[in-house]
Amino acid sequence: MAVLRDKIVIKNLSKTFASKKNSVEVLKDINLTVKENEFLVILGPGQCGKTVLLNILAELDEQTSGTVEFADGRPKMGDLGLVFQRYALFPWKSVMGNVEMNQKLKGVDKATRQANAQKYIDLVGLQGFEKALPKQLSGGMKQRVGIARAYASESDIMLMDEPFGALDAQTRYSMEDEILKIWEKNKRTVIFVTNNVEEAIYLGDRIILLGGHPTSVKKEYIPEMPRPRNYTDQAFLRLRNEIVADTDLSL
Amino acid sequence: MKQNKKLKLVLLSILGLVLFFGIWECSVRFGLVSERTLCAPSTALETLFTKMVEKKPDGATIPVHFLASIKLSLSGFLLAIVIGIPLGLFMGYYKVLDSLFTPLFEIIRPIPPIAWIPIIILTMGIGFNAKVFIIFVSAFVPCVVNSYLGIKLTNQTLINVAKTFGASRWQVFTKVCIPSSMNMVFTGIRISLGNSWSTLVAAEMLASTQGLGYMIQIGRSLSRPEIIIVGMAVIGVTGAIMSGLLSLCEKKVAPWRYK
Amino acid sequence: MKNIKWVNILLSVCSIGIFVVLWVVLSGQEGSMVPTPAATLEKFLQIMADPIANATLPAHIWASLQRVLIAFFFAVVLGVALGIGIGWSKGFNALFGPLFEMLRPIPPIAWIPVIILWFGIGELSKWVIVFIGSFVPIVLNTSAGIRAIDPLMISAGKVLGANRKQLLVDVAFPATIPAILAGIRTALSSGWMCVVAAEMIVARQGVGFLIVRGQESGDTALIVVCMLAIGVVSFLLSTILQKMEGVLCPWQFSETKL
Repeated sequence: MAVLRDKIVIKNLSKTFASKKNSVEVLKDINLTVKENEFLVILGPGQCGKTVLLNILAELDEQTSGTVEFADGRPKMGDLGLVFQRYALFPWKSVMGNVEMNQKLKGVDKATRQANAQKYIDLVGLQGFEKALPKQLSGGMKQRVGIARAYASESDIMLMDEPFGALDAQTRYSMEDEILKIWEKNKRTVIFVTNNVEEAIYLGDRIILLGGHPTSVKKEYIPEMPRPRNYTDQAFLRLRNEIVADTDLSL
Repeated sequence: MKQNKKLKLVLLSILGLVLFFGIWECSVRFGLVSERTLCAPSTALETLFTKMVEKKPDGATIPVHFLASIKLSLSGFLLAIVIGIPLGLFMGYYKVLDSLFTPLFEIIRPIPPIAWIPIIILTMGIGFNAKVFIIFVSAFVPCVVNSYLGIKLTNQTLINVAKTFGASRWQVFTKVCIPSSMNMVFTGIRISLGNSWSTLVAAEMLASTQGLGYMIQIGRSLSRPEIIIVGMAVIGVTGAIMSGLLSLCEKKVAPWRYK
Repeated sequence: MKNIKWVNILLSVCSIGIFVVLWVVLSGQEGSMVPTPAATLEKFLQIMADPIANATLPAHIWASLQRVLIAFFFAVVLGVALGIGIGWSKGFNALFGPLFEMLRPIPPIAWIPVIILWFGIGELSKWVIVFIGSFVPIVLNTSAGIRAIDPLMISAGKVLGANRKQLLVDVAFPATIPAILAGIRTALSSGWMCVVAAEMIVARQGVGFLIVRGQESGDTALIVVCMLAIGVVSFLLSTILQKMEGVLCPWQFSETKL
């Protein structure tokens, strides 16, 4: 494998939520390097602050201390792709309307932005559904729109916050294949957050395990298996057991 | 930083109120508005105190008007609750009552309570009972409709759970449907309260010799804006206090509505 | 199962039947003030054709409706604007929120005397009264709707690069439309009630005027016709709005499946 360039470097990042009565330290001394075009999975139990970490990267939240450095400069708001767990599609906009939203907000003219959006709608396999409203779509299709919308920002960094967490098991498996296919076709730096060990091993070039109170990086794994990986493979199961043994029991 | 921002907002609020009353006071003081059409807030405040004991020009002091209005509206309102809520709940649960009463309510519902006033006055006169009945009509419909909807909207899963526990039909009604309908019931009570208070004002303006609505109506016919303004203020404050008291009741009876 | 359905329909018919019978009995008694159904129908037919106070029933209804629609238009425009301001901007809310909260508990009907004192007994005072009656629910629903927006929508808007103005226009406003429409529906029925009240107190035209005319001349048939007319109009208004909701915001109200 070629040596990849560092894309994002996170140093000693901490986050404390303070209210009048008490303050809770959620993240403590997170150190993390994300390589260019890798599929990085951040794995951690529920409520451990994974979303907070992504929100800080997306500038929806601010760290208490520490630094985040982007190799090509911090992307402006709107120049970063983020896929939400609960889809966060605009219910009043069609599939096309959602996917073209980013470029519309940037003031790109209609023909250009719709052609661009169409490219990503095709990429996620939703051609023919351009005019549908989100409420007419199944969960899996909704999240495809979410992914297309994030891709349409043309950002080279994609943040995904438990994107398949709300889907049923079958849909989840097919969406995992789908996201890898999309990523192979259109390589970008992906940071994928999940609480599901199998999903992490199935997808990740690298897996960062978070844990502890407050949360910090516990361990890093590299699943050295060719894709498509097999859930029942010996190596897969071995790694799975290893990670499970290292994971904090989540309440 | 945050403290600073909060302080700024509080100051803005005070500024808004001061400006409002300031402009009001000045526009009357400096003769921009005729005193025949608007009184200064300071005059209104003065009137509020003098009217506490002074019977002129409308024949009664504020406490007397106030008590007359409260007595009327509470009688009608409570009567509507006592009859309307059980009726709505039963209508929602028992199909027979549903099909028997719902068509009637569909006819009555769109008629604004105020439109009942003339017919009631003609058939029942302008006594206490007639007015209580007007207020009852205005408060009754929302009580019934919302209690009915509350039962209809009960989560079927909850009913099924109760059934698998062996609950009888009556138990399902009292232990599952009624508690889960409380949300809607209180929405109905809130609408009823508002309706009964505003219908009261209308009824007193149209046919009465006492009460806050009568007081502001007299204020108009005598061109005494200070009487009207004071009356409106008392009506508004009373309405706000009643809805505040209702919120307190709600917290006691249905605490799960509040986190 | 089918049997039960028939029983229910039968019961509904019964209930209307009982209602009519009760009406006939109540009105049939010696010296009763309640008009018979026949007299009511006759009155209805009569005032459809013969004018009272220079206007037939449809003309009176139209006079009232016109007042409502004019005032309602201003209430929607200004109410939505104020509601968005109060819900969206903390500063705006601090400045105008307390004022609004102070005036809100006064029932619109209680404004009638002071409005008449200010604006006389012409059309303007009726517009103002209807305006007050419909303005308040629109402001309340709009501001509550803005505050209740799912924070996720706002986050999504920010991530997609919306600046503060775009966040309001392209995200917050569309997300609030269902709440605004709910407010508009309440506002229209409140406005209709206000116009009837205002006309009952002073007017020379309109259904409110007509109903009081009935009261003054002891013509109960006229009163009942007016009550029914008022009810039908209010029912139609809310039905039309409900239909419009499906058209204006299909993502919320209409049930379209692929």
